Amino acid sequence: MLFRVGPAKRFAFVVLSATAVFVAGCSRADEEVSIEPLVPAAGRVDPGLGPGTRALSSGPGYKSSPSWSPGGDRIAFTVDGYVVDKPTDSGDLRRWTTKDFIAKDTVWISDDTLMILGAALPSGTEEISSSLYRARAGEDSLELERVGKEVSAVGPDREGLIFALGSGAYESRLALTRGGWRVNRLYTRSIKGRVAALSLSQGGEEAVLAVRPPGDREVSELHIFDLRKGKGREITRLDGSQEIVGTPQWTEHGLYFVAGEKNTSVESDVSEPLYEIYRVPEEGGVPEPAPGVGEDFVAASIRVSPDGERLAVIGRLNPNSPTNLYVLDPLAEVLTAVTTNEDMEIKTGPDDLAWSPGGKSVAVIARGTPSTEPEVRADPAARLLGEFYNLYEIPVSGPEGAQ
Amino acid sequence: MKDIAFWLSGATLAFLVTAGAFLLLANLATAPSEESLNPNQAKGGSGQAVDVILDKEQLASLEPRPDQSLDLVVENEGGEQLSDVNVALRVFSENTALSDSRYYRQTVEKIPAGEAASMRFEFDLLARERPVATPTANPEPSREILEIRTTTPEGTSTVRTVILPP
Repeated sequence: MLFRVGPAKRFAFVVLSATAVFVAGCSRADEEVSIEPLVPAAGRVDPGLGPGTRALSSGPGYKSSPSWSPGGDRIAFTVDGYVVDKPTDSGDLRRWTTKDFIAKDTVWISDDTLMILGAALPSGTEEISSSLYRARAGEDSLELERVGKEVSAVGPDREGLIFALGSGAYESRLALTRGGWRVNRLYTRSIKGRVAALSLSQGGEEAVLAVRPPGDREVSELHIFDLRKGKGREITRLDGSQEIVGTPQWTEHGLYFVAGEKNTSVESDVSEPLYEIYRVPEEGGVPEPAPGVGEDFVAASIRVSPDGERLAVIGRLNPNSPTNLYVLDPLAEVLTAVTTNEDMEIKTGPDDLAWSPGGKSVAVIARGTPSTEPEVRADPAARLLGEFYNLYEIPVSGPEGAQ
Repeated sequence: MKDIAFWLSGATLAFLVTAGAFLLLANLATAPSEESLNPNQAKGGSGQAVDVILDKEQLASLEPRPDQSLDLVVENEGGEQLSDVNVALRVFSENTALSDSRYYRQTVEKIPAGEAASMRFEFDLLARERPVATPTANPEPSREILEIRTTTPEGTSTVRTVILPP
């Protein structure tokens, strides 16, 4: 039905309609969002770590302990001790702790909650007495909520977190958080010694622990702790001054760990200890060098893939070769080079690598070899990559794609 | 019938006016964003180019002490005279946990086309204590960083970052 109106009113109505459509079209449903300028992390780069490598951070700062969020769209890491995270595609850093906080490890328990092991003030002693804290994204302040004191090691669990508590070098206890962040099981049976590192089996029913026995200086024992029965047992012990480095890994085909002589002989040509990867069956026994790795291989750190079928390994084929990322297939006993880097220094800390949740890539930390001369660059420091330790995502093919 | 024709033509006119307005706005909105999305843009803005020339030997002679000097040359590579070029020096540590950046600023009043202006910055280069060695804090001595940024009134900026060995 058409209304009978005069020509002038009709024209005014048409103009008003056009204006209304125009204004409605130009208005914004959301509040204003600025377009982020691209950062190096947004694009694929080849910093010497192979094709497909992507920078996940840029700029100065000593970065460590990468940890992917459960959804895989963010990555947390430490910078000069404090904790940050950022989107894996592009975007700004988000700080989780104050800059005087020294974090040792971080574990995501949900896409917006991080559990942080660390201390606000370093004591200056050999070991910082660390506590376990909870931090949530989106909270205005950088205040942390303390979950436990005297915590020596943490590890992710499918439904939460497992951690070791111990007030001294003589005994430790395990605690579990599941379905939230509060401790919902504190195991009464203690473990003799100090738990230095731990990780869970694929089923989440047992934990493997690297333990420093009471009175010893080295982490030399491997224990298994049954989380259902609340009982642990020693499965192997290293001789002499050998020490276990980093976190033992529980694969579908045995337990793997990195170990070696703590003090390398002064007659040796190399200045750093030569560590190897060892395998020990779950039932226990004498550890054997990991099959397929090669007797000259110098290992730095290992991480089991999310499916438990592969081990990411950072190390060198021999003491004189460059550090690279490898993948070990424990079943096939085959070591595959993922990077063939000659120029970059890949960081070799025990926690300086992490699998993405889908098991398709590994985050490592690397930098170019620092110059002894002043270096001049035409970019702001915050955009520089190879001049500082930065995170890189390196694609890893599946077992069927092994070279 | 006449009314129907009138309403149809009115609706068509309204559609065309609205579509035209959106096209105009879309073109206006995208121009500056495309410019800001260049990741390797060392020289920002749309004005003429400025180069910053540093003396490598002098950089190598800098020591972690107060009262250090940095001579630099700002070169106008364009075809027009530049006025009021701001030159800022930021001195800071590679260790990002140390929040003690120092800022120094000078302005060059005029740089004729194709010519250069020299200037000197006097600044302090601090000696850093070796940080506490923890698995996540840097066990190495931190390097000092000098970031020099020139900005013209037109918005052209040029950056040079100098990383000094420890």
